[in-house]
Amino acid sequence: MIYIFTALYCEAHVFIRYFHLGKKPENTRFQEFYSERAGIRLIITGIGEIAAAAAVGSVCAQYKPKEEDMLLNIGTCAHRSGTAGVFVCNKLTEQATGKTFYPDILYSHNFDEEAVVTGMRPWNREKDGAEASLAFSGGNLYDMEAAAIYQAGSYYFGPHQMVFLKIVSDSGGAKEVSAKQVEQLMEACQDELFDLVKQLPWVLCQDAQNKNCLCTEKEAMLKKLCTDMHCSKVMRDMLKQHIRYLELSGTDYVSVIQEMYREGLFPCKDKREGKLRFEELKGRLF
Amino acid sequence: MKSLKEDYFNAFFSHIYVEESVRKLPRTKEILSKFPSAKIIEIGHYKDVFCRSKQCFTLQHRSQNLILAAKRGTLIYEGAPVCQSFGNDHFYYTSCMMNCVFDCEYCYLKGMYPSANIVIFVNLEDVFAQVEEMLKSHPMYLCVSYDTDLLALEQIIGYAEKWCAFTEKHENLKIEIRTKCANRLYARNARPVPGVIYAFTLSPQAVIDACEHCTPALKERLSCVAEMVKRGIPVRLCFDPMIYLPGWKQYYEEMLRQVYDTIDLAKIVDVSVGSFRISQDYLKKMRRQEPDSAVVWFPFQNEDGFYHYPNELMEQMESFLAERLEEKISKEKIFRWKE
Repeated sequence: MIYIFTALYCEAHVFIRYFHLGKKPENTRFQEFYSERAGIRLIITGIGEIAAAAAVGSVCAQYKPKEEDMLLNIGTCAHRSGTAGVFVCNKLTEQATGKTFYPDILYSHNFDEEAVVTGMRPWNREKDGAEASLAFSGGNLYDMEAAAIYQAGSYYFGPHQMVFLKIVSDSGGAKEVSAKQVEQLMEACQDELFDLVKQLPWVLCQDAQNKNCLCTEKEAMLKKLCTDMHCSKVMRDMLKQHIRYLELSGTDYVSVIQEMYREGLFPCKDKREGKLRFEELKGRLF
Repeated sequence: MKSLKEDYFNAFFSHIYVEESVRKLPRTKEILSKFPSAKIIEIGHYKDVFCRSKQCFTLQHRSQNLILAAKRGTLIYEGAPVCQSFGNDHFYYTSCMMNCVFDCEYCYLKGMYPSANIVIFVNLEDVFAQVEEMLKSHPMYLCVSYDTDLLALEQIIGYAEKWCAFTEKHENLKIEIRTKCANRLYARNARPVPGVIYAFTLSPQAVIDACEHCTPALKERLSCVAEMVKRGIPVRLCFDPMIYLPGWKQYYEEMLRQVYDTIDLAKIVDVSVGSFRISQDYLKKMRRQEPDSAVVWFPFQNEDGFYHYPNELMEQMESFLAERLEEKISKEKIFRWKE
């Protein structure tokens, strides 16, 4: 599942349309759009650090993201010199505290990379022009959510699970950018954004796919063996540990256990005999 | 767009994090010049990147990044109880680099560090200064390549050579440079320094194939050892950690045959023998990070907070190797790890 967080509906529109995300009316605090087929849950947080952190916390507490899930923050931002484009953020600085955060950039991509500063209010070139060097002391991009989303997200996601994509909309005149213009901006780079969104879950699944090492039949065999050996909790854990190792090392333990059944050594009559048979099983396998 | 599915991980050292305080140092610039296409990200302190919570060691190892920093505070540590001192008093180690480019499943670094990224401390001279200070009160046996493999990155940082030059100037200093590397170029050009021992960790090829990912083959390591021994460079062989695989005896027998065929053992400084052991805290983290690794999921025996192979197996493995080695090397030169 990819959790996409955008501040505004106009930033989310292209994803809702392309991935056929349906609105979840039961979430009344934040607008939520979802598609099981696409594996996407999109949340519109509202503008600013507090709204963004509240949305991430609320949604993650409700859905409890897993190791193979990803958090993707997509939104518009200002660029110090107005350079247009889509940027992957490799450093996030919270302007208010000076704290910095570093999402892992493990996956190859075709975007430029930049550092972003997250501030509490929109940067206005005319009013704040003199403070530009202060506002951008942590990078060339300026937004109002990224660092907050990272901080709230880090309770649920590792740094390798969070991606921050910023699309430059202005160079210090956010109030002059209309919702329509933002929509057009998103549409202009939508193909690249969609490609990334479609491929990210595949990346993390590669890591997650081998983690369940016992198939259902072997799980059932292990359960039966525990019963037949009258295993206590401690002995059951030990047996599981041995089986896990044998499975991972590719040892054919199943035929050894079956042989012991054929020899009438299982089932055992009591826990004491179970312990003896466990030692014998270990002796045959190691 | 480039497909993530085809080549979804970034290249090694595609991103280099540099502490602001070391950004302008000549050594930093020299290292950075070797990675002209890397993205440079300025950081305040290396721990801001290295110690983030919930990092995935396995994924990071597939796209390791570099962190250049200054080491502060304690620079020299007393040798850990699980480490072999080889009969030396005043046994210390230092970490002028953290983490390793090799990816051994059983490596304790995976339990010790929160990140797989490599940290290079560029203020090596501060470490030298502290060693010199300590040498005023007693001689030292110092392991300089414990939490890393210095030789594997020698072409980038040149620290092994710098340690050799430093040791050459201090008669009461003995250092060990431990490695799994097979850097033939280094072996051909290294000069013998009496106080510098190169310690090569050797494993059967079956163990290398199963769990020492990205490391040189046994044959390559041995060829490197042979080259150094031939040139009179002090070399130690470390059969430590011995790793259990079904059929281990046959694998270790074969490894010894290859060792005897390649190396003149009479010229070896000493050898160490020890089976895999690790603190329970490290193993717990390693198992979480490596759910598919047979070697870390072995049903070990826990004794006073340390996991090791069951006593009988441990004794069998270590005795087997030690006894075979005794046929070729005097007993005094064989160090078996004991608690």
